[in-house]
Amino acid sequence: MADEEIVKNLKVQNQYGIHARPAALLVKAAGKYECDVFIEKDGNKVSCKSIMGLMTIEGYPGSTMRVTTLGVDASEAMAEIEELFVNKFYED
Amino acid sequence: MAITVQEMWNEGVGKLSLSIISGEQYLNNRLPEIAMNRPGLALTGFFKYFANQRLQIFGLAEFTYLKSLSDQEKRHRLEALFEQQIPGIVVTRNRKVPAEILNLAERFKVPVMRTPMVTMDFVNECTVLLKKLTAPRERIQGTAMEVMGIGVLLRGDPGIGKSETALSLIERGYSLISDDVTEIRRTSRGRIVCWANEVTRYHMEIRGLGIIHVPSLFGVSSIRRDTELDIVVDLKKSSGNEDRTGISPEQVTLMGVEIPCITLPVRSGRDMANIVEVAALNQKLKELGHDAAKELDDKVINRLTRGRVIGHG
Repeated sequence: MADEEIVKNLKVQNQYGIHARPAALLVKAAGKYECDVFIEKDGNKVSCKSIMGLMTIEGYPGSTMRVTTLGVDASEAMAEIEELFVNKFYED
Repeated sequence: MAITVQEMWNEGVGKLSLSIISGEQYLNNRLPEIAMNRPGLALTGFFKYFANQRLQIFGLAEFTYLKSLSDQEKRHRLEALFEQQIPGIVVTRNRKVPAEILNLAERFKVPVMRTPMVTMDFVNECTVLLKKLTAPRERIQGTAMEVMGIGVLLRGDPGIGKSETALSLIERGYSLISDDVTEIRRTSRGRIVCWANEVTRYHMEIRGLGIIHVPSLFGVSSIRRDTELDIVVDLKKSSGNEDRTGISPEQVTLMGVEIPCITLPVRSGRDMANIVEVAALNQKLKELGHDAAKELDDKVINRLTRGRVIGHG
């Protein structure tokens, strides 16, 4: 089965941006899937399965992140990641 | 919880330098109130309020007062005191026990003990001892270790590797308190103290090896009698749902005391002892007021919000 690649631009909408708690949620969500998940901003690209990576990506409130999922379950992974962004990481 | 004078005696014979003067057979008297009383006021004849259910302490004040009385009056007052059914008597400062007291103690079946300690020191030490005797206690499943001054309780399903982890920690120079079955009690300061069952103390069961005696193999520095508990470590089969930041650590309640608890996923090839060691170190750091996870998070938030938010909830 061919690997599927999905790319979406998602906006950080919570008050504090991607700090430890949202990072942990993202890592847990991405960790459930086999596919690779990357988050990219301003030319910096990190794995969405790395807490330390996510905390260095500078996900300011209001900034837009380029999320890539690549692999067999790419669409399911993207759906779950998108849900977190849309719901402001269940904060505020 | 009521205890007998015997239990106080057993524990205090060494620590409080107690010796028995008479009435050894009456040591099984119950001590309904776990406390001490100076019977000076009762000796003056005042019995309207007399803590007769406590251990009675005869110190310098009591003896000096008794000396001031005539022989007949002395006998009379002491008899009134013994009629109150006191559980036991301790004479401090190694005073010679007057014959009147010994006679009455025999008649009323009261044990008489003596200590060289001065009254105030005795009362202080004995209070601690009685508190310890009557502290709530329980027996729980888990292996207790002391890692760099931090009390760690390892829990987890049978076969998950508690004893093996403990063994690795011992090899790294830390001390075993108890393997698999741990006795705990709550202190008056609200801490939990762990120690081992007397019979199986310092023995471990290692799958494939059987029972080993830890201090014989690793020396006396590998064991410790008891420790205050600082952190509980639950070993679990990896579920993929573990805490990834440590920002909001979990707590478990043992005997009404909240203890920080971390859950470590066990996978083959993962050096659990190393991780438990770091968990203990990290707990030590937190107790010193330095929470790495929280500090990094604050730093990141501060950066992300360009200083607009300081110290979020």
